[in-house]
Amino acid sequence: MIDRDAIRDRFREHGFIVSDQFATALQLMVALAKPLLLEGPAGVGKTESAKVLAEALGTRLIRLQCYEGLDALTALYEWNYPRQMLRIRMTEGAGGSIKEREAEIFGEEFLLKRPLLEAIMQDEAPVLLIDEVDRADEAFEAFLLEVLAEWQVTVPELGTIRARRTPYVILTSNRTRELSDALRRRCLFFWIPYPSLQEEIAILHARIPDLSARLAEKIAESMQVLRGLPLQKAPGVAEALDWARALVSLHRDHLDRTTLEQTLACVLKVREDQLLLESQPDALGAVLDDARPLEPGGRSLDTDFGRGSVSTPRR
Amino acid sequence: MTVTYPFASLPENLAAFCALLRSAYRFRIGPGELQDAARALTIAGLGSEQAVRDALRPVLAGRLEEAQVFDRAFDRFVLGRPDLRPELPARTIPPGHESPPRDTEVRTSGETGERPGTPDVADDEPGTRSGAVHEVADAESPQAATLVRSSYSPLESEGAVPDLEPADREWRAAAAVLVDRVRARLSRRWRPARHGQRFDFRRTLRSSLHTGGDVVTPRWRARRRREPRFVVLVDGSRSMGAYARPPLQIAVALTTVSPDTETFTFSTELRRVTHDARRAAAGERRPLQLRYAWGGGTTIGVCLDEFLRRAGERVLGRQTVVIIASDGLDVGDTDLLRVSMETLARHSAAVMWLNPLAATAGYEPTARGMQLARPFVALLAAANDPAGLLKVAHALRVR
Repeated sequence: MIDRDAIRDRFREHGFIVSDQFATALQLMVALAKPLLLEGPAGVGKTESAKVLAEALGTRLIRLQCYEGLDALTALYEWNYPRQMLRIRMTEGAGGSIKEREAEIFGEEFLLKRPLLEAIMQDEAPVLLIDEVDRADEAFEAFLLEVLAEWQVTVPELGTIRARRTPYVILTSNRTRELSDALRRRCLFFWIPYPSLQEEIAILHARIPDLSARLAEKIAESMQVLRGLPLQKAPGVAEALDWARALVSLHRDHLDRTTLEQTLACVLKVREDQLLLESQPDALGAVLDDARPLEPGGRSLDTDFGRGSVSTPRR
Repeated sequence: MTVTYPFASLPENLAAFCALLRSAYRFRIGPGELQDAARALTIAGLGSEQAVRDALRPVLAGRLEEAQVFDRAFDRFVLGRPDLRPELPARTIPPGHESPPRDTEVRTSGETGERPGTPDVADDEPGTRSGAVHEVADAESPQAATLVRSSYSPLESEGAVPDLEPADREWRAAAAVLVDRVRARLSRRWRPARHGQRFDFRRTLRSSLHTGGDVVTPRWRARRRREPRFVVLVDGSRSMGAYARPPLQIAVALTTVSPDTETFTFSTELRRVTHDARRAAAGERRPLQLRYAWGGGTTIGVCLDEFLRRAGERVLGRQTVVIIASDGLDVGDTDLLRVSMETLARHSAAVMWLNPLAATAGYEPTARGMQLARPFVALLAAANDPAGLLKVAHALRVR
């Protein structure tokens, strides 16, 4: 049994800052052996948390990426048809009854294990990440309910395979579709919000040790402001980390308007959002190091390449 | 801060808290969740208020909206802080909790103002007519029910119920376009099919075993079309009187094209008229006997709620398009309307609101009912003639 503080510490070791609430939810998920459904805006670390949990628990991560049209067979198992066909051809005329030949062709060596079966057949309980379950259709959701409840799978040719250890299951959803109540009832639910200012600073430091305290603060503050704007795609933690890495690799130790312009692509990924920010130059005014207005033409002329350090590579 | 719990022991408090969440906030909590909550507490410990909160939230709240409400409910229950702005009224009586005496009282009070000898429609399910009235009447006072009833005269309205007529060609054609538009979305799932686009290796190989590994009959897979389903809810309140014929025509036309279509009318009460619509679709002229489901005021929320409870699970689904024909002039419970609309939108492919007033130039959906429902409606438009329905069919975007 893993307790809340242990989870928090181990996540921190892996550069992932979890709130008390999230740590409790993870603890309950492990202790109650119930799947955990994570929802939240894009880029807050839903998928990442499953990866870190696997590392923290010292087990394998098995990932099932859901998409529209995903069916039970793709998620569970498939027979290796070409190989089966080949074997049939090779053993043609070798004799043996139909029954023997069938048993041979439908042996485990011809079985292609897909994520769910893989998770069930592990000796140590793995972390099973069922990513973006809202993209799969309802029929698959119903199938998933059965697997998550019974932890056994019937392959007609092989018989019933029962899980040796119940996997730790994390489901993530981006709310593109409402999940069924039945699925929700079988899961614990946790909503991962955007991190608070302090949390985000802590995350930046944990993930990017080279980052100066001042810049981390600036980035986190900018994020708070940007998430308050009516953007089409609000930047998540992933964007903040990208941005911080970009700034570090450019050897910037402060955030001014020029730098912002040059690195905006790390943060705002939709053209309309970038235009929106340009149309509101004061939005980040309080955060930026220079509240200097832009030169006409949009780009300031005295491009600062970071106090004599390396300039951006040009080709 | 002094903390006062309603009960002496933890299990009782936990059960009472779950009961509060269930009744006042409509959480879906069963015995299983209660058990999990108890286990969660033993795991996370009772160290602090925050710890208890954090342990119970993932177990009891199933979606974001519930998680947001959870903390307020927790404050209210555990800390005794009053919930100043309750999200939902604790009004709905679960079916089966209605006491029989009250039921009869309401029935008699309603029947006094009614033309004698009006026959009950046969397919009326038992106990359903009382449900709606109880909620309007705040469950406690039969007098209030009488008030709601006596604010209009059923006698006056009876004659105004239009007959259900067979839909003419133009309506049928428009309805067929609507059905086609919704059907056009293919299912992404591959299924076995006699003539398909994709070779089915598995089944081919399986069948070839009988012929010693020689492929004799190739098997195929294809994508199947999703058959759409329609639910038409027609507002028959007095304000809709002049506009009520087109929605009924739409209902019959849809029933003609897609026989699974369900039709209901509502005013202060909901009534299923699917059978009548089917008969009309078969070419019969059907006089409707609707009583409180026609010609009164409108309590959309109550009626939608009743629809959800009576027919929701059976009728709704991802392939279901809900069509509500109403002017949105509502006198009922606003919270109930919002919650019902939300549920409706969540459990259907799209909710389409046909408002006859929307055809008027300069129309703004300012009526209270309309404003509440707007966020959950995929398309708000008027369809007073076949051309209008055609336009709506092309404009509708299904999830």
